[in-house]
Amino acid sequence: MRQAVRNYLVFLSRSGRLAFVGDWRYYAWMGVLTVFCLLGLNAYARQFAHGLIVTGMSDEVSWGVYIANFTFLVGVAAAAVMMVIPVYIYNNEELHDLVIFGELLAVAAILMCLAFVTVDLGRPDRFWHLIPGIGQFNFPASMLSWDVLVLNGYLLLNVHICGYLLYCRYRGQTPGKWFYIPFVFIAIVWAVSIHTVTAFLYVGLGGRPFWNSAIVGPRFLASAFTAGPALIILAMQVVRRVTASAPAGDAARLRGERGASQTPRSRSAALGDLDLLARHLAELASVPPETRRNILAGAMVLEAKAGDVLLRQGETDKESFFVLKGRVVVQREEGGRFRVTRSLGPGEQFGEISALAGTPRTGTAIAEEPSLILSLPADSLRKLMATPRMNKIIRSRMSERLLITDRALMTLRSIVQVSMLINVFLLANEVFKEFYSGNLHVASSKYLFLGLHGHHALVPWIWTAIVFNLVAMVLLVLPVSRSLKWLNLTCVLCIVGIWIEKGMGLVIPGFIPTPLGDLVEYRPSLNETLVCFGIWAFGLLCYTVFLRMSVPILQGRLSKANEQ
Amino acid sequence: MPTPTSNLPENEGPSPDGQSRRSFLRSAVAASGLAALAASLAPLRHLNDFPSLEQFLQKYYKELTPEEMAKVLKRIEDEVEQQYGLRPQVRDLKPMNGVEFVYALNLTRCIGCRKCVHACVAENNESRNPEIQYIRVVRLPHGSLDLDKAEHNYNPELVPEKGYFYMPVQCQQCKNPPCVKVCPVHATWQDADGITVIDYDWCIGCRYCAAACPYWARHFNFTKPTIPKERLNPDMAYLGNRPRRQGVMEKCHFCVQRTRVGRYPACVEVCPVGARKFGNILDPESEVSYILRTKRVFVQLKEELGTSPRFFYYFDV
Repeated sequence: MRQAVRNYLVFLSRSGRLAFVGDWRYYAWMGVLTVFCLLGLNAYARQFAHGLIVTGMSDEVSWGVYIANFTFLVGVAAAAVMMVIPVYIYNNEELHDLVIFGELLAVAAILMCLAFVTVDLGRPDRFWHLIPGIGQFNFPASMLSWDVLVLNGYLLLNVHICGYLLYCRYRGQTPGKWFYIPFVFIAIVWAVSIHTVTAFLYVGLGGRPFWNSAIVGPRFLASAFTAGPALIILAMQVVRRVTASAPAGDAARLRGERGASQTPRSRSAALGDLDLLARHLAELASVPPETRRNILAGAMVLEAKAGDVLLRQGETDKESFFVLKGRVVVQREEGGRFRVTRSLGPGEQFGEISALAGTPRTGTAIAEEPSLILSLPADSLRKLMATPRMNKIIRSRMSERLLITDRALMTLRSIVQVSMLINVFLLANEVFKEFYSGNLHVASSKYLFLGLHGHHALVPWIWTAIVFNLVAMVLLVLPVSRSLKWLNLTCVLCIVGIWIEKGMGLVIPGFIPTPLGDLVEYRPSLNETLVCFGIWAFGLLCYTVFLRMSVPILQGRLSKANEQ
Repeated sequence: MPTPTSNLPENEGPSPDGQSRRSFLRSAVAASGLAALAASLAPLRHLNDFPSLEQFLQKYYKELTPEEMAKVLKRIEDEVEQQYGLRPQVRDLKPMNGVEFVYALNLTRCIGCRKCVHACVAENNESRNPEIQYIRVVRLPHGSLDLDKAEHNYNPELVPEKGYFYMPVQCQQCKNPPCVKVCPVHATWQDADGITVIDYDWCIGCRYCAAACPYWARHFNFTKPTIPKERLNPDMAYLGNRPRRQGVMEKCHFCVQRTRVGRYPACVEVCPVGARKFGNILDPESEVSYILRTKRVFVQLKEELGTSPRFFYYFDV
């Protein structure tokens, strides 16, 4: 027991220390975020001293950007399940390693949510009145008490799942299914519940006709499953670039230094070469002969002399390699120095990450002695991985186990695509109901979309959101968004559009006009805006730290095996 | 552990010089970080409403024993005296047996003079800056109760105006109060005499009740309320008109400090045209019982919401 606690503390301190280590870009990024955090803290200190009067809120519009951001971020947190469902229910392998990043994003989003509701409180010193058992918890009558339960529950679930999986990876153990699979399934239901409960916060108020509509819940889910995965698509590309890339100049420089002559001779591969590989790689026997023949298309055998370069750091090509005979070293250039990262013998593989993900090579592979190397195109590798035993062995051997493939991003794209279509459809339903029936309750919608009695602060915002959503929807439907550049633009449009539509566009008009027909507009104050920026910076800071700690563990660079 | 400058060549290797430079840099970064943290917390110097430990730990109203309540009341009296230089009397008034209060307001008589608004502010120690008022009087065109047509900024000097009528709105003391349902901490509840009250020392200031109220009756202390010392009403109740703190909700409570000892609310007393009627609906002889029994038409505002107000609007004809 004591030993277990000690092990765990060592794990925590080692991964915690990683948060303070990085290159200059990491320090610059963290520095900027810290500055924003402190500015936000400063603004909050002012609000704490003087009260919510320093915000733009009033008795007329008594919730503002704090609650708007809260609502948006609950959606981001809930969207983490859109990664979990394909992996655990449909066994989508390409998304497998991304699940943890999705859940870590959920954790960061929930932390931001809790921060946003806390800064919205008039008496944050009385937060303990909300603690069940100690305070007076109005459960189940108040939807806010439901929200307290489901948000904190979701935080614990995700912390448990991520923490457990990462710790197992660190210790090199296979995670015990009973320790996390039940929680994964609970988390799926729970994620839907956090966003439904948040929608019910609004829907349950009969006195606010703008919110008192059954479609708000489904709209919340649709917009969450659009904006959440869109955010993950962007975040994963940043992670991929930061963890798996080598500077583009390196390849050229390496080539210059070593000369271009050391490219090995090659010939087409034959079935006999696969037999040779099978001698060192027993799992290959499980591959049916037909598949074996299939994968030979485009496969080559390289006859390398000692010193021949097989692949170069920074290059992007699509082959993966198996050593048939001889020995290969992989070295990585970091800060002008070379470091041998691996030495491979017969039956072992390299280059599969870049082949599958299309990312630049993370190291340079050189034959150490005269060797025979089998080179497979990415498609052949995928065919090989279609058999379960090969899949298992290849995956478990991936030296840098972090695999963010373009295919995974495209799976997320199709989630965003469907969700955005549903989101726009539901919005259209709402707009039709409001304007076609034209009853007295249309005032808030009129204020939002057209302006009311000369007040139209939100009109430019909501039309920006609608244009963004529609453009994003069209782009998502068109094949053009299969290219990452366009997909990224689309994701940004989705995120911004939905932030406006369900944040400002849902919370504020509910208060305008007031139940007594008074028309007072709302504009966030500078202080309020600074607090928001501070909380967003805090959330990004948390997410960066989480990634900083988890990526090396997933890559196997930080493990119990290399404890000192 | 490398420092931010570990890429620089002079930081390579374990030379004693590099070591000391590294630790110096590390402590410089830590020190400037702490200084920045302290600077960002500087506005807390202006904190003027920090709770004492006693206030922080104060129990929920319904859980206070009579002795504890007496202590709390004395503490509140001390605080008020310290702040306003006037010793108030703060009582914890319970609902009377066999009483359910109901309000009836004659829209034919009301002239929109807003005297009730100001009597209410004075009686209930409402903040003058920023202004908090429990009663909102709106002007409506003849023939319509559609509040989207309500004029909030009419000039009370010019009343009554031809073609308009006036409607004062305050807490409707609903039988099904949405504000009570949504409060996450039970800081607001409906007492036996039908009055929905707030424990100002328990409210966390989330303003969910303000969002839930269909009558815009709930008002929030966005900052510390200001009341001129000479205007303070020293006759106070715990659930009533004692001065509120920053960051809590307040609203009309039918003047519990008056009505629970048998007096009329301030707005009823001040009304120059007798438009406001108040009494016990459980007493068949009361004025409000008579009105609700005999008037053919009376209105519960936004009746369709099912809140079932104890506040009735009626007409002479």
